[in-house]
Amino acid sequence: MEPDVSIATSSMIRIAVIPVGEIHLHLFRKYAGMLDRHHKIELSTITSFYKVDKKSPFQQQPWESGSLRFKFIVGGSPPSPWEDFQSNRKIHGVIGICYCPSSPDLGSVAEQFAVACKGYASSVVQRCFVFSPGDKQLADGNNNKNKLVLFPPADQRAQEIHLQTMMQEIAASLLMEFEKWVSRPESGGIILKTPLDSQASLSSEEVIKATKRRLGRAQKTTGDYCLLAGSPVDANAHYSTALELARLTGDHFWYAGAMEGGVCALLMDKAVQKDPVIEEEVKYRYNSVIVHYRKSFIQDNAQRVSPLSFELEATLKLARFLCRRELAKEVVDLLTAAADGAKSLIDASDRLILYIEIARLYGTLGYHRKAAFFSRQVAQLYLQQETTFSAISAMQVLALTTKAYRVQTKASIPDQPISTDGEGGKVNHNSVVSLFESQWSTLQMVVLKEILLSAVRAGDPLAAWSAAARLLRSYYPLITPSGQNGLATALHNSAERLPSGTHCPDPALPFVRLHSFPLHPSQMDIIKRPTDRPDWWAGSAPSGPFIYTPFTKGDQTTKQDLIWVVGEPVQVLVELANPCGFPLIVNSIYLSVNSGNFDSFPISVTLPPNSSKVISLSGIPTKPGPVTIPGCHVHTFGAITQHLFKDVNNLILGAQQGLVISDPFRCCGSGKVKTTHVPEITVVPSLPLLVSRTVGGDGAVILYEGEIREVWVSVANAGTVAVDHAHVSVSGKNQDSVISIGSEVLESALPLKPGAEVTIPVTLKAWQLGVTDYKDASSPILLIHYAGPTEKNHEPPPGRRLVTPLNISVLQGLSFVKARLLSMEIPAHVGQIKISENSNSENSSLVKIDPYRGSWGLRFLELELSNPTDVVFEVGVSVNVNVDRNSSEFDYPKTRIDRDYTARVLIPLEHFKLPILDGSFLVTNSKSNKKAEVNASIKDLISKIKVRWVSGRNSSGELHIKDATQAALQTSVMDVLLPDPLTFSFRLIDQVDQGQGGVMAQNMTPMEVLVRNNTKELISMSLSVTCRDVAGENCIEGTNSAVLWSGALSGMKVDVPPLEEIKHSFSFYFLVPGEYTLLAAAVIEDPNEILRARARCSLSDEPIFYRGPPYHVRVNGTL
Amino acid sequence: MASTACFMIISKNDIPIYEAEVGSALKKEEAAHQHQFILHAALDVVQDLAWTTSAMFLKSIDRFNDLVVSVYVTAGHTRLMLLHDSRNDDGIKSFFQEVHELYIKILLNPLYLPGSRVTSSHFDTKVRALARKYI
Repeated sequence: MEPDVSIATSSMIRIAVIPVGEIHLHLFRKYAGMLDRHHKIELSTITSFYKVDKKSPFQQQPWESGSLRFKFIVGGSPPSPWEDFQSNRKIHGVIGICYCPSSPDLGSVAEQFAVACKGYASSVVQRCFVFSPGDKQLADGNNNKNKLVLFPPADQRAQEIHLQTMMQEIAASLLMEFEKWVSRPESGGIILKTPLDSQASLSSEEVIKATKRRLGRAQKTTGDYCLLAGSPVDANAHYSTALELARLTGDHFWYAGAMEGGVCALLMDKAVQKDPVIEEEVKYRYNSVIVHYRKSFIQDNAQRVSPLSFELEATLKLARFLCRRELAKEVVDLLTAAADGAKSLIDASDRLILYIEIARLYGTLGYHRKAAFFSRQVAQLYLQQETTFSAISAMQVLALTTKAYRVQTKASIPDQPISTDGEGGKVNHNSVVSLFESQWSTLQMVVLKEILLSAVRAGDPLAAWSAAARLLRSYYPLITPSGQNGLATALHNSAERLPSGTHCPDPALPFVRLHSFPLHPSQMDIIKRPTDRPDWWAGSAPSGPFIYTPFTKGDQTTKQDLIWVVGEPVQVLVELANPCGFPLIVNSIYLSVNSGNFDSFPISVTLPPNSSKVISLSGIPTKPGPVTIPGCHVHTFGAITQHLFKDVNNLILGAQQGLVISDPFRCCGSGKVKTTHVPEITVVPSLPLLVSRTVGGDGAVILYEGEIREVWVSVANAGTVAVDHAHVSVSGKNQDSVISIGSEVLESALPLKPGAEVTIPVTLKAWQLGVTDYKDASSPILLIHYAGPTEKNHEPPPGRRLVTPLNISVLQGLSFVKARLLSMEIPAHVGQIKISENSNSENSSLVKIDPYRGSWGLRFLELELSNPTDVVFEVGVSVNVNVDRNSSEFDYPKTRIDRDYTARVLIPLEHFKLPILDGSFLVTNSKSNKKAEVNASIKDLISKIKVRWVSGRNSSGELHIKDATQAALQTSVMDVLLPDPLTFSFRLIDQVDQGQGGVMAQNMTPMEVLVRNNTKELISMSLSVTCRDVAGENCIEGTNSAVLWSGALSGMKVDVPPLEEIKHSFSFYFLVPGEYTLLAAAVIEDPNEILRARARCSLSDEPIFYRGPPYHVRVNGTL
Repeated sequence: MASTACFMIISKNDIPIYEAEVGSALKKEEAAHQHQFILHAALDVVQDLAWTTSAMFLKSIDRFNDLVVSVYVTAGHTRLMLLHDSRNDDGIKSFFQEVHELYIKILLNPLYLPGSRVTSSHFDTKVRALARKYI
């Protein structure tokens, strides 16, 4: 059998193309390839070479439209035993190809060519093409007129034209030779035999039979020559005669041959293949050809020779003729029939050719799986031959099948992006299925094994490596551990024969998937800087206590953008898995970056059997621009491969859908990790980089609750770009514990040059320990947003954020037990009153009660503090009356609280009274409003009180008493804050000089009572004064009065103008020395709303009665 | 019972979802692989043939050497393929019809993803019993 047969084969002139002399295979192929372009020579072009010496036997030669066809047999071929039967099997011409620079002696070339031509007895035209001859050879070659044709060195085009001319000359010569042959007188007498005719003994019967048949066979052969000469009409005429004769003599074999030639002539003549009528005709005739070939089967020499191959060739020819999608069914039937014939073929190489042809035809039909099946049969036949060349052929054929079996090497797959992410990362089941379409693992494994076997035999280490890698990577769950070890060994063996650093397109192990992109360390946070906002830092950091909130979660798109900075190392976490039963040594693994602006650092890893590992791969961006990381480069088993993340992600998806046998990561015990998308990564030019440290160690600052301490944070620029501007802020929990930041220190140091350092003072006040405070998370965070200089007309570079946690460890300090409000009444002594007009006027704006003057209804805030620590605290209370003025601050003596002791601190709540009793506090419409006002006034009050403590030499702080005092004050804030509407006081008149003497008994003592109106309205009242003795008896009224008096003492109707004082003078005459108490009281007439409210009277007609604080008078006896 | 028979179910995405060597002949791995290769190649023929007829049972559509491929295409284009060396068309047809019913039962399982492997041992047992009965 012959490969590549078609109906037109009968009309092709075979020319052997052989190398002559020394010629490199590559050059030989190149020149043979050049010849190939001239496989068809138009008859019209050869007329100049065609010499008519007598009448041509080809009468119907179509000189205008016809052509001669060549079939170049590169490398030549041995003569076929069937040459007589089909003249086109003869080698009619020989073309030698010689390359002059490597074989300069033209004489020897001519000799060698002559020798080579002897092998082709049937050849009638012989030419040797000599390429690239030198000047000397050109001179020589023109002299000896032999078969050498010199092609002087010229450009491609000139050479082509030269070659074409030469081919036309050859065509003309062949045509003339054919004419000679056909018109030979003895052409009818020659005995044409085929191997089919028995040769051993020519019995008389046989001879007679042969002579009978001779004429028909001669006609058939003449027809063949007509076909070769490009004259189908002539051929047809001869074939018709031959058919008649062969039919008469029962020569089935030649009958079929003639018929085949007839079909060829028909097609050559009509040259319209798509005509259905002709198609039917061809089909009909060929079916009868096949039938006749079958008929010619002779049982007795079936062991030696059989016309089966012609039958199969005819089948293939018809199949090739019909090979169109529409006629698939017929072609399939023909090819199935042909495949059935394979068993009966005697020659193994015939079977090989048959299978190859069937595979090719199926491939043309678009039946790739069928083609792959027969290709694999071919490969198996090759593998049976056990030679290196057949192994190479097997390997190449198997490589063709890989596409149909979906095991092709990555090198043969063009890059096509398969988008796997559908709606919001959810992958559609169908789209995943389509990724694994036609995955037939049993077949795939077998094919890969065969490729591996053939590659090993063929000595192609790269192909072997690639096949073993594909087998191991895709089918490890189906391979036993010993099989896996075998594959690993195969990989190692192949790698030994590979040059080091060989890239293989197919990855082996391990499986690599993207784990995560670690975020920038908090010191290196990068923040995009919108152009339109000068305060770009605002809103970029979480301001609340929550780092993640459900609201920001919604904003984050699935693909988060990453920004990398030139020159700053970055890390990417990848997970490796080795699901096989042998330890895997990864010599090096590094990120593969296509964009060329990233230097990745390789590391080496060893993975134990059935294990996975997360490793961190690092690198440095080198140039600004986008970076894409499609996967990793892995150097393992002696070859370098690229592992794409996408592939593994698809694999894992497939495993989830039950389409792939196993997920390599899960079978290694690695947890389920959400598929990580490779984010868009942009590299930006160098940015400044601030690093911070707390001066005096990075450990936590230990503070007692409320302690105030200054810490220093040193900030240095570790980058290569100066910091142009910076903004300091505080974030995180307990933000208010940072009292002040010396941000002006930083600002004054700007621009901060690379390497420069600045120390920022930060004042901290330790917060109150709560029940739920966790030590780590409760520290406030110092944020410094900074950025480098902005070039003009450029978008500003992104800013950065430096996060410095102020590590504060708060210890429990003085603890607050409770607060109470105490009221106290201290009676004043009339005798001790020093009237000083100056001091009065000075404090007239405030109604203050001098602590030595005594107070009625004086209130103290009692704080009970305990000291559970092991240090001593000293507590001091200061009251800042007027917030604006520091001067009016009252300090009280310090209280010392020893360790494990409890102490009480009293804070007198005075100096808080308002100067005027105003209606605004008391008469308000709504209750809530009132409450708010009360709260506001309490806050105001509390803020004026500061309880400071000192412990040791350098610890000092403030107690948080707000909440406690607020609770304590809640009920009686009015009493604390509001002045009484009337203030009463007594004083002696003209007793100023008496000094300590005070009041003398049995002496007329002039006194006066002072009544001050603290409201804004006139108050009319009826004032009365009483005096009581020690026992509390009224000394004025009653029978036993010990005091005499002059002036009015009761029922005095007075009007006090707003905010003024009135005096009422009277005199007492104390009869008995001793302690007396003076009391002033007043009944208000027509009280207004304010007064009623202040007096807390509920009934509208209730009389309002006011009483002053008691005044003590010591009455001394006479000396 | 046929000496050689290989039954496979191929999903519409050309992924084999079930396979069983149901012949009585001695089972050799080599041969089993060859059977699957033949069935795989026959898919090309089925692909064209399935659209030319409304019948689900396509009879024997392909052959290689002595082995014949019979195919039954379900409405969802799942192909039940049988490679056999016997010529018992009626038995094969009944076999296919009953396996089709079993396959529908598998499809009705809400936990079964259409197109993934059939791993039910019950199904396997039933199929082998049917093969013994009909082929």
